[in-house]
Amino acid sequence: MQALWRFNQRVSHWRAMRVIKQALRVTYPFILVMTLISAIGQSCLTTNGFFFQIYHIGQWLPGLDLWQGAFQVMGLVVNNVVAVIVAFATGYFLALTYKRSGLAVGLVSALAFLTLNVNYEVLDQTKRAGEQGAQFVENNLGPQGIFLAIIVGLSVGWFVSKLLARTTKWHWFERLTLTGRVAWALVIVLVLNVLIGYGLSWLSEGGLNGLVYLGTNALITNPGHYGVMILAVTTFNNLMWWLGLIGPVGLAGNNSVRSLQNLAAAVQHGSVWHAPYPVTLHTLGDAYANFGGAGMTLALIIAIWLGSRQIHYRRIATQTFLPNLVNLNNATLLGLPVLYNPILLIPFLIAPAVNITLAWCAITWKLVPPMAYPMPRTTPGPLMAYLGTGGDWRALLLSLVCLTVSVLIYLPFVKLLNQEDQEATDDAA
Amino acid sequence: MRRKLTIGGLAIVLVLAIFIPSVLWLHQRVAHYKTNYRTPLDPTIMVPGSSASQDRFDTLITQLREETKTAHSVLKVKVATNGQLSYTGSIRRGDNQPFIVIAFENNHDGYTNINKQAQWLNVAFKSLVKTYHFNHFSALGHSNGGLILSLFLENYFAQTKNVTIDRLMTIATPYNMESDSTTTETDMLKELIAGRSKLPKNLTVYSVAGTENYSSDGTVPANSVNQGKYVFQNHVAHYTQITVTGDDTTHSDLPQNKQIVLLIRQYLLQETVPEKSPTKKRRRVSRAADVRDAGLQ
Repeated sequence: MQALWRFNQRVSHWRAMRVIKQALRVTYPFILVMTLISAIGQSCLTTNGFFFQIYHIGQWLPGLDLWQGAFQVMGLVVNNVVAVIVAFATGYFLALTYKRSGLAVGLVSALAFLTLNVNYEVLDQTKRAGEQGAQFVENNLGPQGIFLAIIVGLSVGWFVSKLLARTTKWHWFERLTLTGRVAWALVIVLVLNVLIGYGLSWLSEGGLNGLVYLGTNALITNPGHYGVMILAVTTFNNLMWWLGLIGPVGLAGNNSVRSLQNLAAAVQHGSVWHAPYPVTLHTLGDAYANFGGAGMTLALIIAIWLGSRQIHYRRIATQTFLPNLVNLNNATLLGLPVLYNPILLIPFLIAPAVNITLAWCAITWKLVPPMAYPMPRTTPGPLMAYLGTGGDWRALLLSLVCLTVSVLIYLPFVKLLNQEDQEATDDAA
Repeated sequence: MRRKLTIGGLAIVLVLAIFIPSVLWLHQRVAHYKTNYRTPLDPTIMVPGSSASQDRFDTLITQLREETKTAHSVLKVKVATNGQLSYTGSIRRGDNQPFIVIAFENNHDGYTNINKQAQWLNVAFKSLVKTYHFNHFSALGHSNGGLILSLFLENYFAQTKNVTIDRLMTIATPYNMESDSTTTETDMLKELIAGRSKLPKNLTVYSVAGTENYSSDGTVPANSVNQGKYVFQNHVAHYTQITVTGDDTTHSDLPQNKQIVLLIRQYLLQETVPEKSPTKKRRRVSRAADVRDAGLQ
């Protein structure tokens, strides 16, 4: 444990890690607002939201369309630029560590990130107006694009800072003001990125991000019904989340063929025990290893409440509890941050893996029936299996066991992070 | 201490406020699924008339496959007199609209035989539901096959819970057997009328008659087909009678009659049958040419 702590200390002194942490903390309030809005929007206002259905909100809320529209617009605004903010903040903080103009470098990296995500189909002359779509690949500017934004922010930030430092020594550049040097740096970066972006647009429509997602998707779309495969896919997926590649796989798969066949059997026999495919990604992963979203972050929040002495952590846990209840954990991941935190990576991967193993054992030994009824994605994690099995108390029991086990797995790591607090205060004193 | 109590109290209230309504909602939802869930598999069960084998519909099926461009797979079931089933063909994986032909070893005409065949149909049907897990289907009966299906729906269908029939089409089915009379009821018609209240309420029935002349298709009297209205009208959701005349309207030609094949596609398989107007075709060709030109530029 102490070795892990030392490793964490060493890693967190790396320039890149410090910059990422700072950038994510700056982005956190934006993400928090966005997540709260989409948590309410998705769970209370969309027709397949969990609270919308259980409280029958559609029947008594006046002006439903207006509410839906308002929340959608608010969600869109922040959701569609979050990665740009991250790219800016990463460039900004990196430049500061090199003692360069943070604002200029940050803006250049934000622009560089945007050029990588231009929708090059707009240039396609053969398509009529309206068929080309938006000018940017909008999906990549949201939480999906955070990984790429960090990479771009770091590389552009480093490149431009170095360039600005180097150019001050060159004879010809000496005569230029800061304006001129930034302008030259911007031109170079833009040309490079346009070349990269244009080249990539031949490979994939979604830009660089699309390519990464295409690759990961091909790896893990169909894990079949073998427990080991499901375990591997979930762990890999969680690792991707930890890197900021949020949601390459839609793990919430109500619609796969097997889930439909399970539903058919449940409806015909009147009981979920007869499901032809008791072990799928859906019956294991969605039901027991996705409380709060990828990595069982609901358990992380409870562990922080129980064991953390860091005010910062406790505050974020409380603020992001509601979104976690409906399985939206972006704010928790970016706020603590869980992303790029080597200590939290371990329970982030282990807790879901242990839960899947537990669920696999329980289902194959016929202690618990598999879930067969499709549930809204925003169903609170611990209720997912209970409701999905048509109200089987054994499933509820297993969910609570899974939650407890996950909290216990997270707890020592959360306590380990308490040292950070003490050392920080020690430094201050 | 006081603060902890408030937090605990709030937590309990929160959990209950989510848990109780969600359990109530769950029961509604499960009930909803049970009543409204329809399996993607939606077979059409075909029953041939007397003296015909499980291969009776082969010509019809070939025509349907050609015209619809979907390769409906075919499973043929033959029921022996002791209720034993023998299968030929199979339902292809991924084919949600297969045809299932059910024929009988004893395929003779007559009131008692047809009643027995309805019983055998029930044996085959139960086994099919058990194997293929469909919960709704449509049916097509030619000649006495329509009688077998009608008797099955009245007397045996209720035994299979959670399965519904969407549409039934009978082709030249003599509801009053070989009687030409509009007043005398044969035993068969009497039985069907007596049991008509047990027919599924949501069923849609199409009864197609063919006529060579004004009174018959050469085997079955048109009046006997018409008597079907006393069985279905006002006892199922919709009952439609259609009479087809012209070429190929002798009793045994009817299943492969062009008009009837079209009716089957439209009403039984619920396809959207495209219009075959020459103008439309030309327009499509010219659009293809446009695209080609654009590509060249």
